[in-house]
Amino acid sequence: MAPGRLVPTFTPAMLVSWLLFATVPMWIERVGLYQYLGVEILIFAIYALAYNLVLGHAGLPSFGHGAFFGIGAYAFGLAQFNLAASLWVGLAVAVLAAGLGGTLVALFISHRRGIYYALMTIAFGQVFWFIAIKAHSITGGEDGLLKIERLPVALGIVTFDLRDNTALYYFVLAVFVGVSLLLWRLVHSPFGRIVKAIKQNETRARFVGYDVWRYKAAVLIISAALSGLAGGLFSMAQTSAFPDVMSLHYSGYVVMMTLVGGGLVSFWGPVVGAVAFFLARDMIGALTTGWMLWFGLFFVALVLFKPEGIAGIFAGLATRKHKTTSAPVSNPQPQER
Amino acid sequence: MGTLLNLLPHLVNGITLGLLFALIALGFMLILGLMEQINLAHGSLFALGAYFAYAICAPRLPLPPDVLGMWAAVPLGWRFAAAVVLAPILVAPFGLVLERLMRRTYGRDPLYGLLLTFGVAMVLEELIRMVWGTRDYILPVPREMSGGFIMLDLIWSTYRFWAAALAIVAMAGVWAIVERTRFGAMVKAGAHDSEIVQALGIDLTRLRVWVFVLGTMLAAFAGVVLAPLWGIRPHMGVDAVVPAFLIIVLGGVGSFWGAAIGGLLVGMVVGLSGAYASEWSMLSMYLLLIAVVTLRARGLFGKKSVLEV
Amino acid sequence: MALFEARELHLRFGDRVVLENVSLAFKAGKLSGIMGPNGAGKTTCFNVLTGRYKPNRGRVLLEGHDITGRPPQEIARLGVARSFQLMTLFDEFSVFENIAVALPATRARGYDPIGQAYADPALTWDVQQILESAGLAGRADDPAKALPYGARRALEIGVALACKPKLLFLDEPTAGLGSDGRARLADLVRKLKGTLTIVIIEHDMEFLFSLADEISVIHWGQVIARGTPAELKANPWVGASNLGRLN
Repeated sequence: MAPGRLVPTFTPAMLVSWLLFATVPMWIERVGLYQYLGVEILIFAIYALAYNLVLGHAGLPSFGHGAFFGIGAYAFGLAQFNLAASLWVGLAVAVLAAGLGGTLVALFISHRRGIYYALMTIAFGQVFWFIAIKAHSITGGEDGLLKIERLPVALGIVTFDLRDNTALYYFVLAVFVGVSLLLWRLVHSPFGRIVKAIKQNETRARFVGYDVWRYKAAVLIISAALSGLAGGLFSMAQTSAFPDVMSLHYSGYVVMMTLVGGGLVSFWGPVVGAVAFFLARDMIGALTTGWMLWFGLFFVALVLFKPEGIAGIFAGLATRKHKTTSAPVSNPQPQER
Repeated sequence: MGTLLNLLPHLVNGITLGLLFALIALGFMLILGLMEQINLAHGSLFALGAYFAYAICAPRLPLPPDVLGMWAAVPLGWRFAAAVVLAPILVAPFGLVLERLMRRTYGRDPLYGLLLTFGVAMVLEELIRMVWGTRDYILPVPREMSGGFIMLDLIWSTYRFWAAALAIVAMAGVWAIVERTRFGAMVKAGAHDSEIVQALGIDLTRLRVWVFVLGTMLAAFAGVVLAPLWGIRPHMGVDAVVPAFLIIVLGGVGSFWGAAIGGLLVGMVVGLSGAYASEWSMLSMYLLLIAVVTLRARGLFGKKSVLEV
Repeated sequence: MALFEARELHLRFGDRVVLENVSLAFKAGKLSGIMGPNGAGKTTCFNVLTGRYKPNRGRVLLEGHDITGRPPQEIARLGVARSFQLMTLFDEFSVFENIAVALPATRARGYDPIGQAYADPALTWDVQQILESAGLAGRADDPAKALPYGARRALEIGVALACKPKLLFLDEPTAGLGSDGRARLADLVRKLKGTLTIVIIEHDMEFLFSLADEISVIHWGQVIARGTPAELKANPWVGASNLGRLN
């Protein structure tokens, strides 16, 4: 890379993968799968990309992200029932509500990192999950929020109906393209690079003049808002919202997807992970009831032997030929107030 | 005075609940304290303990029918006692394997330990589902410990007090080990400075194994003790481990008394708030945590820890 | 008036007194040194001066303004940069990006979430200048963690220089370097001397005596002597505390 450091807005890999996704409805049924699976995968790909902003780019291990996804899901439904029957209003409210939830959490935890960050996000995740279950009159409790409609996409003169899964798939794909472009720009922007610097060395970032707290808070808020967007899409897709997406399990699933795909080393890793997660669910699930056993074992093996995930495995195969000889230098980080 | 008497059952309830929470947190605390590792599989080990206890108490074991018949003829009291002792021993090997896996993550970002134990928790939970199915089980309790009694015109559950007593026994045992034995001294030294431990010629690898096994057995023990109260189901582990986290954070990482007092405090808050809004009583636990940690970053009794960096 | 001043700093950790009545003044454009044996409180003193710790008593003044107890990022933004004894670089970044991310120009756009981070040619030019002055000109695209030790030391200073400081604190810049590395580092510091105010912690006496305009000696958390290198060589206290050979 020469020291003229422009990062292209569109990369060949990006365009190829979008095109590939665009063809999915044409062949997915022929390989024995179904249209709705594509919708699920794309929604969780959005979610995992948003989550990876926190885990992979900022190095903040949130274990309570399900809360933001869930808030978005409920907000989408509630906006539809109480505000206006508009897709745009619903999605905007989902983003805002989840962003607000993220802000609240960020206020309490942005001075933390590492395991303490994880513990606190678990605690907050549980709070939101618990409220979702108990606030029966708002969320429907464990019965969930039902009869959420797939509202049409209104673009001035034209409207598209989303009740068909293929139509919904293309709408979600459009959102996916938008979100992935946005995040791609974000991680290569000054803000994104500073966040990456803070991940590597909080102390140094502080001593070169960065208000670390604000950056960490901002990252969580952005990630929460986009997770809420995914949540809104999800409640629209399944025409209902349930508290289980806010549980510790579901919060863990998005961590699994992100890591399995290679979110720690690759921007697109979370997308790979979401695809792998749902394919494993449906394909292993067709053979045995305990698909999570096998996926869990695969996850454990990756954590132990290849934390760079699937993307890391491919990158490793590609660069095997010209191995660098540089030895990594250990860099003990001093304790910090 | 009247209101105080009205509150008394909630207070007693809270104290027993607190003891049980502290019991759940105990093994988790040991591992966190020495190894600075969050064991997210703690809840699954807890659940395994409960399932093994069920297998022992309500025999449907894969044994020859006559052996099974003989075992079923043993009074429930003895079978329960056997479960209390045997279930933790049967779960211990799982802890051993987990520790072996965990070794690869030592010295790396603690995130990997967290991810590893989360994965193991998923695997164990799925294993439980495959072996026992998704239905709920109830762990039968010997007649001597079950039922209720009347005191101050109120009905009290007998087993709850037995469970609280077992929790006290376990805590006293752990206290004795940590404070009164050479092993405990090493554990404490290791928590503060693993270099000192190694300089003293202590085998840190073996120490970690023992701490992990002890922590695992405590998780399983807690599972046995709590199973009659909370029922046995695949996700009981998650339900149990979350209060354990909160208690540890509340009490302060690495502080034995912090964990005990944190547990009691949480139990009392849940118990007392249950008097006014029973639906929401568990929420008070989270609010308490957030309040304490906001005011005191390291919890009530926490010391500065490597985990904060 | 001194550019930077510390007045009667006290710092305790629990019941241990770490700094006692420490007063220091660094004149603009000069190179000041701080010496003392290990554990004397030199690095702690830097940590107080640069905002990492808050002193229990005493004041820290930059150009006459009180900056006591301000957080590190604020002090850094006022033009005080520092390097670290234990190296703290952005290890996953290239050498280029280590410098680029520390530039005030990047910081000014810090909340821009869409724009190109390092597209500005002026910024690239700036980075090249800093890399050249730190002796890292050919290494812009090397990953920081792959650099040899001496080059990492230089980058440690380079990142501090990227902050465009008025005042540069260097904490044991020669730590772990061999004689060659020391010589190269001395050259680097000599080049910087005069262009900005520098304060160096060092227990290599030769290194400091050859470079510093003024030296303060810290022992047991107190300033036990100060003066020009020539004055200190004659000071019986300095001889008595056996500096330099202790470490």
